[in-house]
Order: sequence, then C-alpha cells, then structure tokens
Amino acid sequence: MAKVSIERLKKTFGSAVAVSDFSLDIADGELVAFLGPSGCGKTTTLRMIAGFIEPTAGTIRIGDDDVTHMPVHKRNTGMVFQRYALFPHMTVSQNVMFGLEMHKVEAAERDKRMRAALDMVRMSQFHDRYPRQLSGGQQQRVAIARALAIQPRVFLLDEPLSNLDAKLRLEVREEIRDLQRNLGLTTIFVTHDQEEALAIADRMAIMYDGKVQQIGSPEALYERPTNLFVADFLGKMNFFEGSIMEAGKFRTKNQRDIAIVGADRDTKKVGVRPERVTLSAEPQGPNALAGVIDTAIYLGSIIDVRIRLDSGESVSAQISNRGGEHIQHLSDGARMHACFDPADCVLFSE
Amino acid sequence: MGASLAFPASIMVLIVMLVPILMLFRYSFNHFDNGMMVEGFTLDSYLKFFGDPYYRDVFLNTVYVAAVCTILSLILGFPVAYFLAKSQSRYKSLFIILLVFPLMVGNVVRAAGWMIILGNAGFVNYFLQLFGFTDQPVQMMYTPFAVIVGTTGVVLPYFILTLQSVLEGIDFSVEEAAQSLGANFFVSFYRVVLPIAAPGVAAGTVLVFILCMNAYATPVLLGGTGITMMAPALYDQITKAANWPFGASLALVLVVATLAMATLSNWFIHRRYVKTMVS
Repeated sequence: MAKVSIERLKKTFGSAVAVSDFSLDIADGELVAFLGPSGCGKTTTLRMIAGFIEPTAGTIRIGDDDVTHMPVHKRNTGMVFQRYALFPHMTVSQNVMFGLEMHKVEAAERDKRMRAALDMVRMSQFHDRYPRQLSGGQQQRVAIARALAIQPRVFLLDEPLSNLDAKLRLEVREEIRDLQRNLGLTTIFVTHDQEEALAIADRMAIMYDGKVQQIGSPEALYERPTNLFVADFLGKMNFFEGSIMEAGKFRTKNQRDIAIVGADRDTKKVGVRPERVTLSAEPQGPNALAGVIDTAIYLGSIIDVRIRLDSGESVSAQISNRGGEHIQHLSDGARMHACFDPADCVLFSE
Repeated sequence: MGASLAFPASIMVLIVMLVPILMLFRYSFNHFDNGMMVEGFTLDSYLKFFGDPYYRDVFLNTVYVAAVCTILSLILGFPVAYFLAKSQSRYKSLFIILLVFPLMVGNVVRAAGWMIILGNAGFVNYFLQLFGFTDQPVQMMYTPFAVIVGTTGVVLPYFILTLQSVLEGIDFSVEEAAQSLGANFFVSFYRVVLPIAAPGVAAGTVLVFILCMNAYATPVLLGGTGITMMAPALYDQITKAANWPFGASLALVLVVATLAMATLSNWFIHRRYVKTMVS
C-alpha cells in the first residue's frame, strides 16, 4: 500500500467546472470517504485517481510516483464499481484470476492468491459460479476480491453499496471496513450516504459544486463544521441569524440574545444541532428560548419536535424516546422552553 | 391472449412466405420440356445445378461475395457501433440518422452512384490518371470488386444498427474494470468487450450474410456479366428462359445454403462466447 497525494487537481468539461482546486494527502493505510450530493465532483475525482479521466490541471501521486498522466492499466489501483462490473462470461475464479494474469503472476502463485482473495470475502465455495448466479451482495464481494487480489497500491470504491438493500449494505460495509483495517489498505470510498461515510471513514472530504468544503475526521466535521453547507449537509442544524454583541453574546435579528462560547466578530450565524436542544416547561441554563410546540412527530427511537419561538424563529429538537411522562407532555400547542448549552453553539461567518 | 395477438401476423407470414416457398419446392421437381413446365417428379433441375460448372461458379461467387462483404462489415462496422454505443454526445442521434439515411435511398439509386464513381470514365479513374498512377482506366465496374464495394455499402448500416442496439445494453464499466486490473485497451477489448458483444456480433453478421447472399439489384448493376450471383441467375431462369423448375431449384438451393451457413455461424459464436452468459 502507498500514500496518495493530490495537489490542486482540476477538471473542466468545456465551460463546466467539475472539480477545482482539490488538494488532499492520504496517509498509508488510511480510509478517506468522499461525500457529497450528486454532481459534486466526488466520482470525477475518484475516476481521475483511477485514470479513467484525464485531469485538466494538478498532479496525482501514488507513493512517490507521479501518475497524473499514466494510463489506467499501469496504475495498479483496485477499483470496485457501483454496479459490480464483474465479467459476465467468466466464473468467479476466472474473474479474480484475470487481474493476476494481467500482472503476470506465476501460475502456481496465481492460484494461491485467487483462493486467498476469495477466502477473504467468504466466497470460495462459489468459485465456479457465474456472476448471474450470485446475489448482489455476493457479486460485490467477488468484485472486492478481484480488486484486492492484484495487491493494489490504492483501493478505490465508487458507491460500492448503493445497489444493495439496506441489510446487506450494512453487512458489506462492515466487511470492507474490516478488510481495510486488517490489510492496512489505503482506501478512497465515494458515497452520497453520510451515515456510510461517518461509519467507515478515518477522514472524510465533503464536496459540493466541485470544491472540497471541509476535510477532517467524522467527529470534527459533525461537531465543528466550518461552513453552512457542511453543517446542513451532515445531519441537521438550527440556525439563528444575527451578530456578535460582545464576547459570549450573540443577538439574533429578532433581538433575542444567545449565550455562546467565543467572540469572533465576523459571526453572522449561530447553529445548534437538534439533538443538543432539550425541552422543558421551566427555563433551564443560559439559553432557554420560550415557544409553543408546532408539531411533535413520533419516530420510534426519537421524537422530532418543532417549536415556534415567541421571537418568531422555529427550532427543531430531537428528543430521545425514554418513554413515559418524559414524552407525554410533548403535544402540539404545549408551551416549552428550548434549552441548549452555549458550548453546543457553532459559529459561522457567512 | 398474448398468443392470439400474434395470430393475424402469423397468418400473413404463412400466406406470403411459406406458401410461395412450398410452391417453389414443388415446382423444382417438375419437368421442363420444349420451353414449358410439365407437372411431374424429376431431379433434373438439381442434377443440372450440381452438374454444371457454370452454376457451381455462380454459387461460389455468391458465397465469396457474401463472405467478404460480411467480414468487411464486421471490420468497418464494429468500431462505428462501439463508438456510437459508448457515445454520450448530444450529436449521437444525428449520427444514427446519418446511418439510417442511406436506407431511405433505393439500392438502384446507390448502385448508379457507384457506377459514376467506379466507371472507366468515373471519379476514381479520373484521379488515378490525373496523378499519373495509370495511363489506361482501371476496370472496376463489372468486377467482383465493384459488387463487393456496392453490397458492403448497402448492408453496412444494417450491421452497425443491429450491433449498436446490442452494445447499448452493455455496462461498459466492465471495460474499465479490466483496465484497472492491468489490461491495456486491446486486451480488455479482446478478453472482455468482444465476448460480451458476441450475441450482437452474431445477430449482425448473420443478418448481413443473409442480405448479401440474396442481393439482386447491386450485383446486376455493378457486376453485369462480369460476375453472376445466385439471385440474378434465378431471376433470369424464370423471366428470360421461362424455366420455372430450374429457377425454383436455384431458389431452394439459395435458401437452404443461406440458412445452413447462418445457423452454423450462429451456433459457432454461441458455443464460443454466449453459452456461459445466458442461463
């Protein structure tokens, strides 16, 4: 395995900019997820790394080699595709064998590595089946074995789980994570599913409109989003518009004061996650915003409550369902205080 | 319900195809005496066909022209179909219309065009002489060459459209997968794309082969007396010589030979490539 370093990568199609100014260093053995809505440039970036798309500008290095203009078949990347892309006219073992033949691995060694790769994904007993005889999850496992058998320098996955049903998705996700950890694979994982990215990634790069919005650990991105897009894309967030009055004090445009931690003069918005908001009849703590429950939606493990504040804004709160009296008073029209800790407030300058 | 919907079409096929063929089959065993067909049962017509070197040559010419045209269509048509199937260009439908366009112009009109291009005082000879490649015009009209060029031109769009529609259904990420596994373009094409495309190639080549075997207008106009093929020969027997039994026997030989070769090549391609993919 090898580290990957991407420097000021850019791709334009005619006048449309697909990716611009993408820079990222991926450590040996690290799993980085590219996350973003469709059309954000995440797949284009992955395909540039794999070599299917020629970058307009910038450099891609795998290990110490500049591969920016190297043809696909010389890059030694293991790619897994959304729709499996198994060779339909070859058996499972022939599929895995293909890459080993291309890499001119000796016949005896080839067989051993094919078996090891299939063992790894628990598909050995299906070695003489054809892809059409396998379920989606099994096909994707074979595709993973095929990509890893060549001992690639980078493991690239393009939305590998999006064609699988919910239960399988979880299962294959765990398998990919385990393989990646155990083998120390440098991995890039493209997905539009934030839960997937949060669960699997060491670091994630959130992309929007061809640009990286923020790079960091799942925790860093969720807890300390640096811009509104990241804050809103990853989970949900309540926003208050206004400005800083003095250190620790933010005044909304509806003249409501919110206690915060920090004093950045450029702050134009303050955000707080719905699950950090608690509801109580009596005001509690420095931030207790009075209002009336608009809707309370029962979602099983949580209750999604919308409160219309007396000052006019509306605030979402996610109350975990601990049963009994705790949730009974969360009915439409009830007067409540939405309370949150100043430390849970995130400041934005846009 | 479904079966009954096919009923009217089935009746039509029966009347316009099967009945004439059966009648020809019957005719082919009739006698031909003093320029008249006489009811009876004889193998004379078939014996004449298999015994006369002239007709053996006509048959071999036909197979030769059909085979060369089919191979040329494959070589020339595959890249076009492949390009079209993979293309995401907004001009794609324009390309397809351009391909269909020749089909709207009759074979005779196109053959006339080739006469202008290939004739002794034609376009090609003009330039050959202008640039000093030759003093005398090169004889191209009324040769197998002219028939092959003309017929390939006629059948090529059929081949491309048939193959393109099949290639369209291929998920080309298999090609990318092969390349990421270390195969260069040619290896990934030969080992992955071609085997998957085999059903389309089979359909296209069989269709084109059948069309070429039965070509009439182009061989008559471009081949003249220089090369005779089966369809013109049997037409001559029926209209000019009024020899219905012999014309009918030629027609049946043509039908049987065409079907046999088409089936054989289809079987070969399926055995080689397709069997493993279709359950």
